[in-house]
Amino acid sequence: MALAREILPAPSPGLDFAAVFGHPQTLAIRAGGLIFFSGMLAINPQTGEREHGTVTSETRRIFENLKLLLESAGSSLDRIVQVHALIYDRIEYDVLNRVYRQYVPNAPPCRTVWSVQIEAGLKVQLDVIAAA
Amino acid sequence: MSSKRNAITTADARLDIPKTFALPYATGVKAGDFIFLSGLIAVDPATGERAHGTVVSETRLILAHMAKILEASGSSLGKVVKTTVWLHSLLELEDLNRAYQPFFAAAPPARTVCGARINNGMKVQIDCIALA
Repeated sequence: MALAREILPAPSPGLDFAAVFGHPQTLAIRAGGLIFFSGMLAINPQTGEREHGTVTSETRRIFENLKLLLESAGSSLDRIVQVHALIYDRIEYDVLNRVYRQYVPNAPPCRTVWSVQIEAGLKVQLDVIAAA
Repeated sequence: MSSKRNAITTADARLDIPKTFALPYATGVKAGDFIFLSGLIAVDPATGERAHGTVVSETRLILAHMAKILEASGSSLGKVVKTTVWLHSLLELEDLNRAYQPFFAAAPPARTVCGARINNGMKVQIDCIALA
């Protein structure tokens, strides 16, 4: 039996990366009991507009978007398995942690953080795998 | 019960990047329902030597190589659920997309792209997770 690879639809128009930015990628794919997300950025879930801000405001927006996505797929923030947290500058590590822990207060997922250049001059990108 | 974890190699030993360059990692590992591939760089399909080029040429070599490795293991590009792309400069995001898109014409995988320095001055590195 071939295993299913199911494309999850965007729960709001702004989160449809392929449509909004023309990128050759799918927002989220469910397969083998897991959900794989494209790297999430601080974008307005309705309009798709980028919301450049601080590490704190961008991280908040990303988690709110992730919550929307996960819940529309029948999962939730506390079912996240692994996060790659990309930030623009390592010096903001503690700033990331302060806001990050508010969204995963109990038994947080595995995480790796690195600092890197992020598209369109944004400061945070979260790359997430969650249990379906 | 513990499940199996099988190493994946290339049919042509010269194209096995960690073997060619004596690096301590596997080209790929099959575990559970998934195949995990290490970050691929552009190598010459005839010799296995690094093929420095443009973002477009490196991306094409990498994805053609990725297709071969996956197919030899019974998977394919169509079963990829997630890719991570390291790009030497995000100024070349559109070049990446142009070369990348034709390999994933229908229902592309979830993706994260970041701008980073890559070993040995390569311009692109891509890893993936695929359904086995």
